[in-house]
Parts: sequence; structure tokens; C-alpha cells
Amino acid sequence: MLHIYKYRLKCIIRDKQMVFWSLLFPIILAVLFNLAFSNLSKSENFKEIRIAVAENDELRGNPQFTEALNSVPDLFDVIYTSKADAEKLLEEDDIRGYIYFDQGPKLVVKRSGINQSILKAFLDDYVQTGSTIERIMEKNPAALQGGLIDSVSERNSYLREISHGKAEPDTVVNYFYALIAMACLYGSFSGLKEVTALQGNLSFQGARVNVTPVNKARMIAASIGAAVTYQLFVITSHILFLVFVIKVDFGNQMFYIALACLVSSVTGVTYGTFISSVNRKSEGVKIGILIGTSMIMSFLSGMMFDKMKYIINSKLPILGYLNPANLITDAFYSLYYYDTHTRFFTNIGLLCGYIAFFGAVTYLSLRRQKYASI
Amino acid sequence: MQVYKAFFRIIQKNLLQIIIYVFVFLAVSISLTIAGVNPVQTEFTQTKISMAFFDYDNSSLSLGLKNHLAKTGRMADLADEAESIQDALFFREIEYALRVPQGFAEALMSGEEAYIEKISVPASVSEVYLDNAVNKYLNTARIYISNTEGLSQEELADYIAADMEKSAKVEVNREIEELTLSQKAGNHYNYMAYSLFAVLILGVSSVMLVFQSQDLKNRNLCSPITLRNMNFQLILGNISYAVLAWMVMNLSSIFMFGSFMFTAKGLLLMANSLIFTMAALSISFLISILVTSPGAVSAAANVVSLGSSFISGVFVPQELLSDTVLRISSFTPAYWYVKSNNDIAGMGEVTAMSRAPIFNNMLIILGFAAASFTIALVITKQRRIKKQ
Repeated sequence: MLHIYKYRLKCIIRDKQMVFWSLLFPIILAVLFNLAFSNLSKSENFKEIRIAVAENDELRGNPQFTEALNSVPDLFDVIYTSKADAEKLLEEDDIRGYIYFDQGPKLVVKRSGINQSILKAFLDDYVQTGSTIERIMEKNPAALQGGLIDSVSERNSYLREISHGKAEPDTVVNYFYALIAMACLYGSFSGLKEVTALQGNLSFQGARVNVTPVNKARMIAASIGAAVTYQLFVITSHILFLVFVIKVDFGNQMFYIALACLVSSVTGVTYGTFISSVNRKSEGVKIGILIGTSMIMSFLSGMMFDKMKYIINSKLPILGYLNPANLITDAFYSLYYYDTHTRFFTNIGLLCGYIAFFGAVTYLSLRRQKYASI
Repeated sequence: MQVYKAFFRIIQKNLLQIIIYVFVFLAVSISLTIAGVNPVQTEFTQTKISMAFFDYDNSSLSLGLKNHLAKTGRMADLADEAESIQDALFFREIEYALRVPQGFAEALMSGEEAYIEKISVPASVSEVYLDNAVNKYLNTARIYISNTEGLSQEELADYIAADMEKSAKVEVNREIEELTLSQKAGNHYNYMAYSLFAVLILGVSSVMLVFQSQDLKNRNLCSPITLRNMNFQLILGNISYAVLAWMVMNLSSIFMFGSFMFTAKGLLLMANSLIFTMAALSISFLISILVTSPGAVSAAANVVSLGSSFISGVFVPQELLSDTVLRISSFTPAYWYVKSNNDIAGMGEVTAMSRAPIFNNMLIILGFAAASFTIALVITKQRRIKKQ
């Protein structure tokens, strides 16, 4: 049995095409993801908004405005200039908008957007505070002596940040988790290869193997063992590559990550043996089915569009449970993001269920197959 | 024209594989075009951030806050459970969540310490935006409370609401209409780079691979057709295949964008894609000489088309890519092609001056075409010499 195992492993490793698709292709994709997405999460980050303020007499007549602007140095990067220059800066996209006074502050922008909205909110704030002060003076004229100005210029924060998980909600990591899921499903190619080499009607090798006195179950076990060994090696290299070269955060739970790798690798391989043993189409068609289904499953778990996973999980959760790629992605996601392991073990449990199902179907369709003549 | 016919018979045999890429492209492009239907904006609209608001206080003040936030936030319907909030935040279904604890308003009214719990995407623009909105409301409340006596909560909420009605005037100094359509067409042409590349590499390589097999080559050499004639037919085949692919892609854009494609901008986009097709063709030709097995063809098609698309801004906009990546990708024709598409899409009006950089980029793309074609010729020549 060890003998068969060894030779099956050699057969897999020497299949250059398979090594490319299962080992190199995900690494190439990971590098591309990294190149393309490295700035994506940074683009959400807040940067000081560059604005201009047009100087004129009315601005000088409103020192409290400049004061208000100075009280939020983290928010804006302000240039004081003439209106014509401000207009020019805006035209060149150097600033997001400019403020000028003409019977009250006015804002000029080129388009709507969140930075422009923050700028508008600041001006609204200024106008609204004016209205607040007026109303208070009306109700309580003594307030001016009672520290109204101080309480206006004071600014408290009424918000307390509470933690929402143990890691930052960095959407980009999900792309890499889905990529690992795809790589695991690509393990199905080696599963397919093993079944082809076991069945007499599919390959000459299979025909030869069928006349040996070795028990089928042992042969299947050795073959699948070889495929799983290879797949484990592949996934481990991927994870190492992602962690040390691309620096994707997987959390720090080595044992759980290893468990997830093992279970997902076996899922991938048995998925391949399952597909190849339940239908009698040519190898090309089977590969087509494997590529097609694993692409669709990776798409649904968010490899091309991160929000897909959320949409499925909130709108049609059953589809999420039926999709092994989603379970694998979700296992890594919950290790990264959740404090508890309930969801992780639900995913692993379901994956084990798939393994049992795929494995049983494979065994039942391969066992006791005899050929009178082929 | 036997060779020319044979060319297309081989293409026909591989049609299924090739068509997949056309469908992927159409599916992506159409779904994104439909998804991105925004109304034409001519006046300023305040950005709204998707958020969740859990109110355990149910006071007039917390209600007032909620109404105030409706201007800057879109309230999502979400259960107040750790996992559902975490998931929604991770996938940006919401970017912000607030939980007003019971007794908040009373504590605020009596001047005690009062806090609202928030969950947000750390250090993000949306956090700054909504933090400001919340604090603005509550600071106004504080000013009223500390400066007027005997204020009831209802009165307070009314006063603040009245203040918040006031707003500054905003002018938008440029018309934004009709840009959306050309932006969409630009995106459509950007995605086209991926599928054109994949389709050309697959088609050209699978045919050339057949003609390169040694036995077939020997047989062809002793046929009455001259080598020159045969090569001519092959080149003609390659070019007609490329033009055919280009036409199919452009038919899809005429179908999607209609008469826009026959405006100056539309025609420029089409011309740009034709130039890019030429570059993709000669790169495919180079690849077809380098690959040796059908398996390698699909590997090369995937790696080259996906690779250059990812780094040159086909899938992720160029302005989101880092400078290093852009510098690397400027060595691919796709980068210049995408750059031109974006320029064309963002143009206000097509003038001689705004056209100039587009033509420059086209020359660069043609340069890539010439360079890879030359390399391919050098390699074939060297191989022939080696054999002799």
C-alpha cells in the first residue's frame, strides 16, 4: 500500500499542468490581488481635506469663522487665497471645494462626494450655531454673561467606540480567503486524476491496476492519501506565501488554521473523486465541470466581488451552506474576525459532512467494479 | 486559400473555450452597467452613509438625533447582535452603528456624563463624517441645556431640529450630466481589454500550435503551395480573426450604448480598442511561438490576460493602484489603453487639444505591437537557422 502511495504521489508531482494550476496559479492570482488591492483599504481612510477660503472684507468681518476653522485642524488643510485663484485650484482638482463670503458663507464644489459633504457639514454647523446662539439670546439674554461663548466654543465627544470584533474589518482579506477556497477546490483535479488512474474503462493504467490482487479499498485509500498529501503541501505553501510574502492577516490560531487547511484539502480532493466517479463523460468534460463549478463557487464566496458573500449569507443562507468554497472562506473569516469558535466549528462540521458524502459516493461507485472485457 | 480555411476550422474546434471569455466579459460589463444606474445630478447631494441605529432610550432627544442623522445616513434594518453587526460592517453593508443606551437623554439633560456607543470602520472617512454629525447634534443640545433654564426635552428637540434646518448654500460649478454614460462606456471598454486579450491568445495560439507541429510542417513544406503564400494566408487569418473579435466586442457596445458610440467620444473609444487589438494580436503571436502544448496555451492566456488587466487598472481603477504598480504596468499596452479610455470618458468635449494625448497613447500601443512582432520574427528566424 505504501508502495502505491509513493508512486501515486510521484505521478501527481510530475504532472506539470496540474502543478501549475493547483500550485502556481493561485500564487500568481494572490500576487495580482495584492498589487491591485493594496491601496483599496487605504482609499477609505480619512485624509485631511484640502480646501481654499477666498479672502474678502466679509471674511475679515467674521473672525469667529476663521476661529471655527482653526478649531478643527485635523479636518481641513486650508489655503487662504483670492476667489479667482480658488476657482483655478478647484478646476485643477487641487482642492475639493472653496468657501467664500457673500452675505453669509457659500461653498463651491465641482461634484458631490463624501469629502464635499464633510465640508458642507462644517459650514452648516457654522450657520446652525449662529441660529442656536440667536435663539438662546432671545430666551435668556443673560446667557452672554453666563458663559455662552465658552460653551459654544467647547466641543465634546459623546461617542464611545466599542470593539466590534478582534480584528479590523478589512474587506481585502476576504479576497485572499476566497482564493484559498478556490485553491482547495482545485485539489479536485488530483482527485479526478486518481480516479481516472483507478478505473479500467478510463485509462490503461486503470485497466492494469484492476488485475492486481490488491483490495480496491486499499488502493483507493492509497490514491486519495497521495492526493491529499499533495494538496496539503499546496495549501500549506499558499498559506505560508500569503502570510509571509503578501502579509495577509489570518489571526494567530495556528492549530485552528491547520485544522481548516486539512479539512478543506480533503474536501477538495474528495469533491474531485466524487465528480469523476458519478459520471461517465470524458476527462475533458469532467475537468470542465470542475473548473466551472469551482469558479462559480468561488465567485459566490466573494473572490471576484467581496460583497457577494454577504449578499448570499443574508438573503439566501442555505446557498452559503451548500457551497463548500463559502464554508472554507467563512472558516478562515471567522477565525480572523470572531471572538468565538462556534461559527468556525459549524463550517468545519459541515465540510466534514461533505467529505463523508463525497467519500461514500466515490467508494460505492468504485467498489467491486469488474470488467468482463474492455 | 486552404490554409486560411484551415485556420478558421481550428478556431471553430476551440470555439467553446473562446466564447466563455466573451460571455464572462459581457456578464461583468452588463451587470455593472445595470447596477450603476445613477440619476443625473445637477445639484449638490449630500452623501449618505449606510448605518444602523439602535435606540434603547426612546426619548424625544434620541428620536431627534435619529431624524437628524437621516440627512447623512441611510438606516439599515439590522438585528442588534454581535455577529450580524460584525458581518455587515466587514462587507460594508453598513459603515457605522450607534447604540443609544437607556437613560441617555436624562443623563444629558441633568448634565451627567452620557455616552452613545458606536461601531465604525476605524479611521475611515465615513467615521469622521458621521462622528461630526452626531457630535454636532449633541453639542447643540449641551449648549441649550447649559444656557437656558427649565427646558423640557420636547422643547429642546424642537429647537435643535429648527436649527438643523438651516444650511449653507452650495454651488456646483460644473455640469455633471451626460458624463455618466461616457463613464460607463469607458468602463465597458476597460473590461474589454481582458476578454480581447484572452480571446486572441487562445485563438491565435491554438491555431499556430497546430501549424508548428513538426510532422505537419514537413508535410506542408512539400505541398505545391509556396511557404510565402502559406505564411501570407496565415497572417491574413490572424488579422481577420482579430478584426472579427474586435467587431463582436464592439457590436456589444453599440447594442448597450446605442447612438453614443457614433459620437466623437464613442468613435475614439472604438478606434482605441482597434489599436489595442493589434497590440494584443502581436503579443498573442509571440506567445504562440513560445508555447509548446495546448495546456500551456490556456495557462498563458489566463496569466497574461488576468495579469495585465489586474495591474493596469482594468478591474481596479488606476487611481486606486499604487505608483509602483502603475510604473510596472506602464510596460504593458493595457495600461495605455485603459489610460486613454479613462481620458476619453472623462473629457468634457472632444477638441484637438484633448485628443492629442489619446493619439500619443495609441502610438505607444502600436510601438508595443511592433516590438513584440519583431521579437517573434527574430525568434522564428533563429530557430530556423539552428535547424539548418
